[in-house]
Amino acid sequence: MGALLKLSSAIDWLNEKLGRLANICVLLACLVSAANAMVRYAFDISSNAWLELQWYMFAVIVMFGASYTLQKNEHVRVDVVYMGLSERKQIWVDILGGIFFLMPACVLLGWLAWPFFMQSWDQNEMSSNAGGLLRWPVKLILPVGFGLIALQGISEIIKRIAALQGLIQIDAKYERPEQ
Amino acid sequence: MIPLEYMPPLMFGGLVLFMLIGYPVAFSLSAVGLFFGFFAIEWGYFRLEYMQAIPGRVFGSILSNDLLLAIPFFTFMGAILEKCGLAEDMLDSMGQLFGPVRGGLGYSVIIVGFILGAITGTVAAQVIAMTMISLPVMMRYKYNMRYATGVLAASGTITQLVPPSLVLVVLADQLGKSVGDMYLGAWGPSLLQILFFALYTFALSIIKPHYLPPVPKEDRTLSGKQLWIKCAWGIVPSAVLIFLVLGTMMFGIATPTEAGAMGAIGAIVLAVIRHPKLGVFGKRVFIVSVLACIAGIVAYQFNPKGIPFQLAFGLLYLGIAYMCVRAAQLADLRSLLIQAYQSTARLTAMVAFILVGSTCFSVVFQGVDGGRWIEHMLTSLPGGSWGFLLVVNLFVFFLAFFLDFFEIAFIIVPMLAPVAQKMLAPIVGDSAALIWFGVILCVNMQTSFMHPPFGFALFYLRGVAPKEVKSSDIYWGAIPWVLLQLVMVAVVVAFPLSVTIFLDKDQKIDLDKVKIEIPVDQGAPASTGDAAKDADAAQKAQDDATNDIQKALGGGDSSDAAKDAPKATDAGKDAPKDAPKPGDAGKDAAKDGAAKSADGVGKPADDKAPKAGDKAGIK
Repeated sequence: MGALLKLSSAIDWLNEKLGRLANICVLLACLVSAANAMVRYAFDISSNAWLELQWYMFAVIVMFGASYTLQKNEHVRVDVVYMGLSERKQIWVDILGGIFFLMPACVLLGWLAWPFFMQSWDQNEMSSNAGGLLRWPVKLILPVGFGLIALQGISEIIKRIAALQGLIQIDAKYERPEQ
Repeated sequence: MIPLEYMPPLMFGGLVLFMLIGYPVAFSLSAVGLFFGFFAIEWGYFRLEYMQAIPGRVFGSILSNDLLLAIPFFTFMGAILEKCGLAEDMLDSMGQLFGPVRGGLGYSVIIVGFILGAITGTVAAQVIAMTMISLPVMMRYKYNMRYATGVLAASGTITQLVPPSLVLVVLADQLGKSVGDMYLGAWGPSLLQILFFALYTFALSIIKPHYLPPVPKEDRTLSGKQLWIKCAWGIVPSAVLIFLVLGTMMFGIATPTEAGAMGAIGAIVLAVIRHPKLGVFGKRVFIVSVLACIAGIVAYQFNPKGIPFQLAFGLLYLGIAYMCVRAAQLADLRSLLIQAYQSTARLTAMVAFILVGSTCFSVVFQGVDGGRWIEHMLTSLPGGSWGFLLVVNLFVFFLAFFLDFFEIAFIIVPMLAPVAQKMLAPIVGDSAALIWFGVILCVNMQTSFMHPPFGFALFYLRGVAPKEVKSSDIYWGAIPWVLLQLVMVAVVVAFPLSVTIFLDKDQKIDLDKVKIEIPVDQGAPASTGDAAKDADAAQKAQDDATNDIQKALGGGDSSDAAKDAPKATDAGKDAPKDAPKPGDAGKDAAKDGAAKSADGVGKPADDKAPKAGDKAGIK
């Protein structure tokens, strides 16, 4: 179990770092997007590369942010039943859900996304918009992101099993995210 | 082996079951989709290649969707505004203005809720900010607790109906309509809604005067000129922000997404200006920027986009950039910003992943003919269109007890949209049908924030209300307002005019003209093999494409073009001058998009088509 917990904290470390990247992308995307509009209005300058950069960053926010969000236990749940369960049972829901819902789904989605990326990589695909960006890096985010979530899923399962054994304390408390 | 016709209801049941377990919705949804997808492949309802459509759609309609980028921007903006003291100033001054009247504090909360709603698009920030400021004041003057908590929650929740609401953006995306039209449609109901709130307050102040006492004279610290200055101090910045977010979009200067980003930057600038440690230099920069802005606007009247105009606006932009740098320098503001963008990133990832999950679900659901099942069920209802609306509204109302609006919008709305288009078009016309439907749903989903015990708005209120406020008061207090919201649903259903009155009337004619130019039949029959499953998608793509073209052709009205995608803006009025693409980009793109969605075997969401087509191809 000790080795597994080390693995778990390594995964957490990695996803936290990438989560930070996703955080900063919110601010950057906001600045880029506002600047695009302002510069286009005043100076008639417009560039597809900058327009595309906005959603490249959105892709980073979503795909890298998701595993970090999982780590923070902030993915929204239908909590009608869940909230009524004891903490141990909630942990069991998370373990079983992780094994039967999250892992298969993310592995499968990552596996489906891989050829999607490879096709783009083989063609060295460029954006079809004049002056657009290289396309494969953003498509690579897709399988990598699903892979990271699957990894985080493993880490969460390890932590919860350890918690059931009383090896560690986890803060499994779930609160609905603000929106 | 289960016959095909039983697959959709089973899938739907599976969805309910899997979600009730309480594991995060995003992953439960994907799991249901893939689980049933596995059996569908096993039993030969479609082939594995069909599932290959999923990454394409995730990429095409989520990650590269400019419109969804509005989610982080509006959330970010809301998080900053909550803390920058704008709500305080407005509530304080309005409270003093209306104070002498019975129920005056209630009116001020309703009006401020509406104004803040027109600035930002998220409910949380607003309920929290307003409750923290107004609830203690209302308690001090012995307002009825149930009224006080109810009016705060309801006036905060109205944010999601008043443009630029995030719900409307998300619904526009899911219904394949332009955000601008959605906004236009929502103005009528949102104005009616605050009118209802005010009338209720008025009626209550007559029936139960002691519930809403006036503020005693000695407690009104401001009067006359001072009071008006204080009011202006709250209203002028709000007006500027409203212009940044709504005005720029209406005039075709920015796309809805960019408008959200500018709103967020505007909120940062506002927070810096109001910061006590701004300093003399900062104030000078601010004054110079304002003057530059005025000069620029004047210069524009004489010589649009001439050198004087560009110089003035360049100066203004420098001022804005300086303010942003200042924001990073001021320690408390910096930590506020960091906190804001961190929570925004997590919320965005969470929301987008519900959409990933629902994509998995809906690809498989469509693959087993789920669309036809739903359509059959809803079109055979007694009462035709009205029966449909009644059932759908009841359904959404009850779902809203368990799901929040993102989940409803992403899971339920795409299933209902094609049927709604068919059922409602005879009543309000082709182009307005889904707008009307979307606004009805939006009004309806307000209740999901409000009804006890799961309403979000009540949670937020509970979170920041003083200890002596009882939870039961919050819950009971919410009920009259939920009823008012339901009355509003009935009004919008009964009087479609309340939505369509602001919509562009000429749309229908344009649409017909354009339809002739595009051979619709080329798309669908050309699809072979697994792509046949996508025939529906192709049809919808065609429709969307038509819409896009119509926008591109309606070049006179650039606001229309700006609503959909940055590229569309370019295709609009400004095309000859600055577009990186040819003026008819929209048209070509749309054609490409329609073709793509049909010819790519199992890959309806290829991103090789240009932007406008991209959007169409995926839908």
